[in-house]
Amino acid sequence: MKKISLLLVVFSLLFLIKPEKNMAAENLQAKIDSMKAGAVLKLENKTYQGNIVINKPLTLVGQKHTVIKGDSTGNVISVKAPQVTLSHFTVEGSSMNRNSAEEYAAVKVYTNHNVIEHIRVRDSFHGIYLSKAFHNTVRYCNIKGLGKGEIAAQGNGLHIWYAEDNLLSHNTIEGTRDGMFFDYANHNQSYDNHISNTRYGLHYMYSDGNMFKGNTFTMNEGGAAVMNSNHLTLKDNQFIINYGNQSFGLLLLQANDNRIEDNTFYMNQRGLYIDQATRNFFKNNRIVQNQIGIELWASSNDEIFTLNRISENTIPAVTIGGKGERNVWSKKGFGNDWGRSFPLTDLNQDGIGDFPITYYSSLHQLMEDQELTTLFLKSPAIKIYEKINATLNENEVMFRDSHPLVSKNNSHHVVVWIVIGLAAAVLIFIKGRRKYALHLEGMEGKHKG
Amino acid sequence: MHYIWKEWKENIRGKGLWLSLSIIGLISVSILFRSTALSFDKGFYILLINLFDAIIYFIPILCLFIGAFSIFQEKEQKTLIMLLTKKDSFASFLLRKSLALYAVVLVPLLVWFFIYLLLLKFQFQLDLKSYVIFLLSIMSMALVFMQMGTAIGSFSRSRMQIIGSAIFVWFYFFFLHDFILLSFLPKVSYESVKLFSICYFLNPLAAVRMFLETGIGVYSFGHMSRLLQAFMWTKPVFFLLGNLVVWLAASIGIAIAFNRKEGVE
Repeated sequence: MKKISLLLVVFSLLFLIKPEKNMAAENLQAKIDSMKAGAVLKLENKTYQGNIVINKPLTLVGQKHTVIKGDSTGNVISVKAPQVTLSHFTVEGSSMNRNSAEEYAAVKVYTNHNVIEHIRVRDSFHGIYLSKAFHNTVRYCNIKGLGKGEIAAQGNGLHIWYAEDNLLSHNTIEGTRDGMFFDYANHNQSYDNHISNTRYGLHYMYSDGNMFKGNTFTMNEGGAAVMNSNHLTLKDNQFIINYGNQSFGLLLLQANDNRIEDNTFYMNQRGLYIDQATRNFFKNNRIVQNQIGIELWASSNDEIFTLNRISENTIPAVTIGGKGERNVWSKKGFGNDWGRSFPLTDLNQDGIGDFPITYYSSLHQLMEDQELTTLFLKSPAIKIYEKINATLNENEVMFRDSHPLVSKNNSHHVVVWIVIGLAAAVLIFIKGRRKYALHLEGMEGKHKG
Repeated sequence: MHYIWKEWKENIRGKGLWLSLSIIGLISVSILFRSTALSFDKGFYILLINLFDAIIYFIPILCLFIGAFSIFQEKEQKTLIMLLTKKDSFASFLLRKSLALYAVVLVPLLVWFFIYLLLLKFQFQLDLKSYVIFLLSIMSMALVFMQMGTAIGSFSRSRMQIIGSAIFVWFYFFFLHDFILLSFLPKVSYESVKLFSICYFLNPLAAVRMFLETGIGVYSFGHMSRLLQAFMWTKPVFFLLGNLVVWLAASIGIAIAFNRKEGVE
């Protein structure tokens, strides 16, 4: 009897050890190791334990509920062979350690010509990390971070480090530190990605010659921050509702010779924020309904703005810290469309205003001296402040567009409707009440009678 | 209950409430039509902000008028004297009248915005928490200005006085308050920023806006400077609550202290 009891105890101890965890990890790793190069491994609808290392070219295809779960000590999947394809599964549980020598990710790619598609990433420091990796494709991936409250404790959605000629497209990234972070990464292409609720949706550092097209940035601290990076093309992107106190649609900091074309900057604290940047070209962008359309710091020179629609912003453009050199607001006779804030005549009907427009403002000094000024940008008092300062001759020229475009937008003027509405309301209100009072008095009279 | 019923009957016979509601309805529908091009997932937030930016022009002034004329009508029709002779003090009359006003104005507003939510459902991915925060913001704004209106109605002796006072209050909170603060802005230092913050959030429009924009997550205070941190020394919801307490108490106090029982035409 004693022996049987002892046997039972030993067996129950074996149960406590939970060997299946290591077994599953070994299983997947063993399966991978046992496969021939170029083989396809179809994963089942279950959770596999990581971490795994892929050392040969192969394809891993999952299903709807396939999960590869890391042990929170390192990268969940390390791709160390070229021509690996990962698709259709969830990866979670990388190490979140910020003090380690290495920054960990759900998927870390060290090699070239790999494809990572339809991968969901959860509970990981970085999402997908391309480390000195070239000619890879990352598409249709969905990466979710810990949210805005945990910005510092986590990494980036896509982290591209010393990696070139990669294609990143149709990815959705939410709640990570930066959505896409490029560090010393040149000639990459990013198309149609959606990035929201991050610190910077896009963050370029020392990365040149990248193409960025059709991406959407919403509700980030900053839409895109381009720093120390040159010769980028940003086209057809949308920077929408990046609305915080220090927020911007696009920041160019020490970024030169970039081409920013056909983008939409809508409802940002600042549409464009340009500091210490030179020779950037802004064409055909829609910079609409931002608090500040363009904030241009004095250290920025040789900027060209042409054919942009810059309208319905509280402040269309402001230059801070003095005047930049050779910044121009029109090119080859084509300026910008400044909307209804600047009424124009166009007698020869060529679409160009008959006279130059100059915008004066006194706010630049206040904005430079006091950061709390941005809290007042939504206040109607700003307009009165500007008018009063204009009468005191304290305004300075913010920009001068020699060939402003005649506005094509014929939307109704909201303020006029507001005033008409209010006046009608007051009139009918008074009349209605008065009529009712008279009616009651009449009734009273009848009763008395 | 009697007061609510009385207020309701008076308001449905008059045009003020209907007009106010129809203006708000019209604006919200027009903003919905203008927002059809917005994205499915984030367009909802843009619509809420745009809607708030539009109706912020109307709700304060309409509520000021509704509150003021409601009290004034009691004077005009001599019903105030009749009510006060029935062992009812002015303070108790004012409180009951205010509660009745809240019910009569806020309930139809809520009903409208519930219907509006159904319309939004076809267009956007809804976020109910954000919508509740939006409704709370609108209701708080209506509440404060309605109560201010009752104070105006209490001390005014004529319709012209009401119109003048209501427009002044509206103008003050829309323009003057911020304009005064703007003129002090260059002198604000780290030591004085808390006082400045209190003054800033004394404006119900500023407190409500901050509550809304931070509540629905579009306005963030990430990476705040020391000065800004000192400025935002408590959560936006507490700024709003403080604002409500101050202005409701002040309005009730002014209404009781300076009330005139007789109105003249």
